[in-house]
Amino acid sequence: MRMIRRRTFLLAALLNRFAWSLRAQDVTLPNKSGSVRFAAIGDMGTGEAVQYEVAQRMLRFHKDFPFTFVLALGDNIYGGKSPAELQKKFEIPYRPLMDAGVQFYAVLGNHDDTNERFYKFFNMNGQQYYSYKKGNVHFFALDSNYLDPKQLMWLEKELADAGTNDWKICYFHHPLYSSGSFHGSSTELRAVLEPLFVKYGVQVVFAGHEHLYERVKPQKGIYYFTEGASGQLRVNDLKKTDLTAAGFDKDRSFLTIEINGDDLYFQAISRTGMTIDSGTIRRPGAVQAVAP
Amino acid sequence: MFLRTAILCIGLVGVPRASVMAADPPKSMPASPSSPGFREFSQGLQEYLKLQKAVPRLRTTKKREEIVARRQALAQKIRETRSDAKQGDIFTPAASEEFRRVIRSVFQGPKGASVRKTIRQGEPIQDRHLTINSEYPERLPVTTVPPTLLLRLPQLPPEVAYRIIGHDFVLEDIEARVVVDFIPGALP
Repeated sequence: MRMIRRRTFLLAALLNRFAWSLRAQDVTLPNKSGSVRFAAIGDMGTGEAVQYEVAQRMLRFHKDFPFTFVLALGDNIYGGKSPAELQKKFEIPYRPLMDAGVQFYAVLGNHDDTNERFYKFFNMNGQQYYSYKKGNVHFFALDSNYLDPKQLMWLEKELADAGTNDWKICYFHHPLYSSGSFHGSSTELRAVLEPLFVKYGVQVVFAGHEHLYERVKPQKGIYYFTEGASGQLRVNDLKKTDLTAAGFDKDRSFLTIEINGDDLYFQAISRTGMTIDSGTIRRPGAVQAVAP
Repeated sequence: MFLRTAILCIGLVGVPRASVMAADPPKSMPASPSSPGFREFSQGLQEYLKLQKAVPRLRTTKKREEIVARRQALAQKIRETRSDAKQGDIFTPAASEEFRRVIRSVFQGPKGASVRKTIRQGEPIQDRHLTINSEYPERLPVTTVPPTLLLRLPQLPPEVAYRIIGHDFVLEDIEARVVVDFIPGALP
């Protein structure tokens, strides 16, 4: 146990030095005053060096674009769940971000222990699904491992109560639309969730599970992002289809978002700092993402 | 306790459907929530929940050690209080038959292919030798339980969940990560 901790500490120290030597990436987000700023990562909890590198890249990006919270899209902790493993797979890589005041709001993936909902730093407050509001954005965090009628009824009520004037963003682990060849679209989950999203005006959905980055062309007016490559990666998993607006499966990545009024700006960044996708989404009506 | 009983009652008398369900009703024969089999299941489950009353549940903490310690204490207490528990105590023969009937009808129904796909996408676990009160292995992924199936089964209180392990249909205490009961070979 002590050996694991020591090795993890040394790895973190090494990566810390490495990360600061990397060239700073360009921030394409407008960084306007009063914006809601956040990042999204998925399938990250491997504890491997590449996860640490993505975390360091996020930290570097945070200097220029001070996002205040992160959506953790599930598979937050792979494999063993002991305190030492949790440290290695979450606390050490993201500690600098947390020290900078960044909060994590997690959902459960199929590799997560449901008891992660009691872990304070995941901000789930003991709930498998929950909602919260930041500025003019309502977030709905779902448990797509277990979409029982109780959760669907809860979601419908929350979406209805959120009204029609703000952004509504849902996130969960399994993508409803995906051009990934390993898992693909979760059509049965889509059959129960999409009617609610359409009825109550959800504009954007984030998911993980497929180990790549993908932005899907708007489906029934809703934008779908998959970010499942913040630790794991399945190279060449993306089989571009009519769904695909943009995608990346060559390296690990994370996503950053800024919402200012009716505009949502997004920038997806690779482990090495390359911008792999960016654009703007306007709420509601405007359904065209603007390429950089 | 009131909440648990209320949820169980809802499960027994039927679930008020969200609009999504109204837009997409199950085409195959619906389960009868008040069937004798499901009644037996709900009674058995109530007994199980009573056993847990004295055991402190988990709470939010920054210390992962605390979560692990409390989970282990909870699991230990469950094992002690249910030391003579055996397969079929909650999934009684009548309950098992009802669950098997519903599972069969969902798999053979119009959404059968979609249900199978959902399970495949959840990285299904291969068959394992299950025993009552054993720990749900922490390294195993959780297979997605198809919503189409969940719509047709009695709803559960938050302490427990249905799981799919290989071909077995499992009732898990999700805080203690303990196998409460299972129906062997329930899934085709």
